[in-house]
Amino acid sequence: MLEVSGLTAGFGTLDILHDVSLTVASGEFVGLLGANNAGKSTLVNCLSGLVPARRGTIRLDGEDISGMPPHRIVERGIVQVPEGRLVFPQMSVLDNLKVGSSTRRSQLGRTSKLEEVFALFPRLHERMEQPAGTLSGGEQQMLAIGRGLLSNPRLLMLDEPSLGLSPLFVQTIFRAIKALNTSGLTILLVEQNLNLTLSCASRSLVLERGKIVIEGTADELRQDPQTRRAYLGL
Amino acid sequence: MLIPEFLQTLVQGFLLGSTYGLMALGMAIIYAVSGVLNFAHGDFLSLAMYLCLAAFSYLAFDPYLASVIVIPCMAALGMGFYQWLVRPMVGRQMLMIVQLTLGVAFMVQSGLLMAFGGQPKRVPSVIEAKLLIVGDVVVRGPQLVALGVSVVLAICLYLSLNKTSFGREVRAVQQVPRAAALMGINVPRTRLITFALGFAVLAVAGILLVPGLPIHPSQGLRYTVITLMVVVLGGLTNFVGVLLGGLLIGLAEAFGTVYVSGVSGFVLPYLIFILILLFRPKGLLGGAA
Repeated sequence: MLEVSGLTAGFGTLDILHDVSLTVASGEFVGLLGANNAGKSTLVNCLSGLVPARRGTIRLDGEDISGMPPHRIVERGIVQVPEGRLVFPQMSVLDNLKVGSSTRRSQLGRTSKLEEVFALFPRLHERMEQPAGTLSGGEQQMLAIGRGLLSNPRLLMLDEPSLGLSPLFVQTIFRAIKALNTSGLTILLVEQNLNLTLSCASRSLVLERGKIVIEGTADELRQDPQTRRAYLGL
Repeated sequence: MLIPEFLQTLVQGFLLGSTYGLMALGMAIIYAVSGVLNFAHGDFLSLAMYLCLAAFSYLAFDPYLASVIVIPCMAALGMGFYQWLVRPMVGRQMLMIVQLTLGVAFMVQSGLLMAFGGQPKRVPSVIEAKLLIVGDVVVRGPQLVALGVSVVLAICLYLSLNKTSFGREVRAVQQVPRAAALMGINVPRTRLITFALGFAVLAVAGILLVPGLPIHPSQGLRYTVITLMVVVLGGLTNFVGVLLGGLLIGLAEAFGTVYVSGVSGFVLPYLIFILILLFRPKGLLGGAA
C-alpha cells in the first residue's frame, strides 16, 4: 500500500533522513522505533507532506505522493495523529471531530464515523460540548485519534500517542489502536516505548540517526543485540 | 453638564464606534488566520474611500451604489496582497512582515497622492443631508446607515465563523494551522479567502465612513492606529471584544472632543487605551473566543 524508497529529507542545509526505504502493506500494524532525534517525526511529517522530500519517492498504491500538499495527502487516505496531540483548544470536542472530516471524501460518512468514534471512546461523547483545551492529556489523545478517524483514513499514522500519559490512559489508547487494526485499518505507530510497540506491532523498524538500521518481528527485534544499542542512541 | 449635549455625544460616539469596530474586524480576521498584523490597513481603507470618489467622479455613483464595484475590487486586492506579498513571508520573522505592510502603506499613500492630488476631497451622498431627530439628539443619515450595516455585518460574521463549516475551518487554521493541514484543510486557500473577506469588510467600512467626510491621501496612518488600538483592546482574536473595543474608542473620541478642551481632547482615546492595557493586558475580554 505505502512504498517509500530512497527518501532523504531535512531542514535548511541539514539532512535528517538519509535514504530511508520502507513498505507498509494493507492491514498491517507497523511500529517505528527510535531514540529522540532519530528522525521519526520528520519521517512521518514527510509522509504527510509537511516536510518536503529532497530525494526519493513516496508511493501510495503506485501513485507518487511526494511533493503533494498535506490536504491532498489526507484526501488520499494517509492521516497523521500528530505528536503533542495538537487539538484545537478553543473548539468543542464535537467541532474538533468535525474538523477531522474536512475533505470531500470524509464528509459523506461523517455521522457513522462519529458514532464509531464515540463507541470507541465513550468519554468523548460525555464531553462533547466541552472546549478541547479543558480535557486531560489522555482525553486529548483520544480526541486527536478520533479526529484522525473522522478523516476516514486508509493508513493511520500515530506519532508518540503515549507521550506524557498515565499508564491507565496508555492502556486505553493502545487497546483502541489494536482494535482499529483488528477491524482492518492499517497502522504506522511511531513510539519511543519499545515494549509497548513490540507487543502490538506485527513488524517493527528501528530508526537511528535518520537511517533504518533494523527491521523485523517483535521476537527478532528482542533478540537482536543491535536494538538496544540503536534504541538508546549509543 | 447639559443632558441633551451628553446624549448627543453618547449617540455620536456609539455611531462612530460601530464603524471603528467594523474596521477592526477586518484586521482581526486577517490577523487570526495568518498572524499578519497589517500596518497598511488604514491605507487600504483610504484606498476604498478613493475608489468611492473615483466611482462618483467618473460614473456619478453614490457611495452606497459604488459598493458593487468597491467591495469586489478590494476583495480581489486582498487576495493579491496575500498571494504575492504575504504568503512568501508567512512563517518568517514578525518584523519582516511588519516592514512589508509598512512599505505597502507608503506605496498606497503615494499612489493616492499621485492619482488624486493632495487637496482634501469629498464624496457626497443623497442621504448625506438627511437628519433623524429624536428629542434633542440629531443623527445624520449616513451614520444611521453605518450603524445598521455594522451591526448586521457583525452578526453575519459571527454566525458564519461559529456555525458554518467554513467558519470551523477558519477557526482551526487560527488555533493550530499545522493540525488544520493534517486534517485535510487547504490552509493557504483558507487564508486567501480570509484575506478577501477581511478586505471586503474593510471596503464596507470605507463606504460607510465616506459620505460627506473630507478625505486626504495621508489619512491612512491615523486609521491604522485607531484600528490597531481597537484590535488590541479587543484581545486580537476575540471578535466580540474587538467590536466592544471599537465602541469604547468611538465613545472616548466623541467625549474627548466635546468635553475636554483643545488638543488634549484628542488624547483621551489613547489615554484610555493605555490605562486599559495596564490593567487588562490581554484585552477587554481576555484571550480568544
